[in-house]
Amino acid sequence: MASESKDTIDSRPGELFVPAEEEYSVDNPDEMDNSEDVGIKYTILQIKEDTTARIGLYIVSIIMIVAIYATIDAQLLDYAIAERFWYHPEFDPDSPEANLPPIGITNAYGEGTVAHPLGTDHRGRDILARLVYGSRVSIQAGVFATFIGMAGGIIIGSVAGYYGGRIDDLLMRGIETLYAIPFLVLIIAFMSAVGRDLVIAMVAVSILTTPVFARLIRSEVLSVREMAYVEAARASGLRDYQIILRHVIPNSFASVVVQATLQIGSIILLIAGLSFLGFGAQEPTPDWGAMLADSRGFLLPNPWFSVWPGLAILITVVAFNIVGDGLRDALDPYIDNSQKEDEGRI
Amino acid sequence: MSLFRYTFWRLLQTIPALFGISIITFALINAMPSDPVAIMLGPEQMASEEAIEAARERHGLNQPVHIRYLNWLVAVVQGDLGVSFYYNGVSVSDKILERLPATLLLVFASFVFSISLSIPLGIISAARRNKLADHIARIISLIGVSTPSFWIGLILIIVFGYYLRWLPISGLPMPYADPARVSGAETQFEVLLQTLRHLILPTIALGTLRMAAVTRIQRSAMLEVLNSGYIDLVKAYGVSGRTIMRKHALKNAQLPVITIIGLQISGALGGSVLIETVFNINGLGRLIITAIEAQDYPLIMGTTLFFGIIFIIGVVVTDIAYAYVDPRVSYGGES
Repeated sequence: MASESKDTIDSRPGELFVPAEEEYSVDNPDEMDNSEDVGIKYTILQIKEDTTARIGLYIVSIIMIVAIYATIDAQLLDYAIAERFWYHPEFDPDSPEANLPPIGITNAYGEGTVAHPLGTDHRGRDILARLVYGSRVSIQAGVFATFIGMAGGIIIGSVAGYYGGRIDDLLMRGIETLYAIPFLVLIIAFMSAVGRDLVIAMVAVSILTTPVFARLIRSEVLSVREMAYVEAARASGLRDYQIILRHVIPNSFASVVVQATLQIGSIILLIAGLSFLGFGAQEPTPDWGAMLADSRGFLLPNPWFSVWPGLAILITVVAFNIVGDGLRDALDPYIDNSQKEDEGRI
Repeated sequence: MSLFRYTFWRLLQTIPALFGISIITFALINAMPSDPVAIMLGPEQMASEEAIEAARERHGLNQPVHIRYLNWLVAVVQGDLGVSFYYNGVSVSDKILERLPATLLLVFASFVFSISLSIPLGIISAARRNKLADHIARIISLIGVSTPSFWIGLILIIVFGYYLRWLPISGLPMPYADPARVSGAETQFEVLLQTLRHLILPTIALGTLRMAAVTRIQRSAMLEVLNSGYIDLVKAYGVSGRTIMRKHALKNAQLPVITIIGLQISGALGGSVLIETVFNINGLGRLIITAIEAQDYPLIMGTTLFFGIIFIIGVVVTDIAYAYVDPRVSYGGES
């Protein structure tokens, strides 16, 4: 797990007065002068020392590469959506095997031992190819929705925080109303009105991600607003939007990056849930959530069919969460607790 | 401001939120592409223009949008959520009340499950920081917040339902159900046992995410308290570690957990849509999916509104509980 040598108090009940040895080591970055505890260099240093975060970063990179590969390889989608049984000369649609997914690395239709390393699904489509293509869908959805939500949140949050008063009240009441309806229910109601599509799902999710960032930015802006350098900027004649763009937003960026990384994981989970219910990716687009929905009919004959997509979601989300936690520790170990409240909303 | 006045003030503040929910719900339904009259009448009667016109007249659908909204709002305030198309004229509120107990039971059970595991786990994790127990607790909570709840449900079904055959995997009989209609039960007591048996797997599936999230919050809250000045002071007096934990740290570390209970309820309600689908439980979550599949407008509006109201109640209760527990809260409003 993440190394936490930075804390000055050892809380072991029996040994309260015996500080841990590493607290006195010179290498410990927290022993340094506070003024050096900022900046990208320091963050990279912290991440390098944090084994868990580093592993998370490797996994995220691998998944990103897989997702990019899925985008580049034009044949993959064909392979992932082609119902290969139907084209096979030996295939008999009336045979009892036609309704059973083949298990393991071979199938009954002579495609060789490694043709389908993870088997095929109920329509004869290769599970590995669908998993690989599904990474693209998940990553796209997670990154896109987080980005839109972040942009909206930054605008609303910084305006509300900077101007305060009536504008703040109005915007924050609107945000609270969005908060008030359970996420999934609102998205489903929205999609029943607008239509079922992955892009619409992403837009709906990003609208509902806005409040998380708006609240975060607003609280950051409230503290930055009173700083002497903002006062100085105002005195030197900068306009409001210039102050917001040049001083307020850059100074609250650390916590936004942390929140965004953690948010990607929750959004991947949410999109998978929507696809599982049939509101996200539509057939034949391969998606992890939709694959799990397909697998519901084959839990007994082929349990592995439902294991792989779930495992893919789990690994991806764990990796993003580890990186987010690592970034949080590196950028601001004493980050406000209220930000963690947003975890587990979905 | 007294606690009583704070409660009143807080309840008053929910009115804009309720208003907002009603507007959003109504606007969404009106944005739907298909014609409600077509769905209501079915294909046979659609042929005649008069039948369509008569239906529009009868349901007030040929009035302007804002008038329809006001009519709907007045009816909703009076407790009339309209009549379901899909369930052949059963009133929406009856349908919601019929499905509500199963969802409430599931959400309550998952809440008990997650809180009773997460609070001890978070405290142990913080107290034994960087020891084996802490590592295990943190791995459990990391995996818990990263796993799709419906996948946990599927895996539980495969392992405990199909392979081990220990527990039922589908449906949720209510404890007051007629024993004759519940399989494997002859007396009312056996019905209760069946309810509990059916409840185990969905509860774990729904509760794991929240269990993990609360564990993380409890751990960081506990660490924050343990790192604070007054704990240093108590230590300096030579008070033993155990007493510090029991008397000074535990109570103060509960506050952040209380604040997120409202969000936990909302999350569990949303998650129940997925879990009820996986385990074929006839609750509110599946009702809303059925309503959307059938494009049953009154039912969609009714259930969405109802979900929103339950959640707002949850948030308000949490806020009031928080004000009650933490003497430092200035009861809002004053500033």
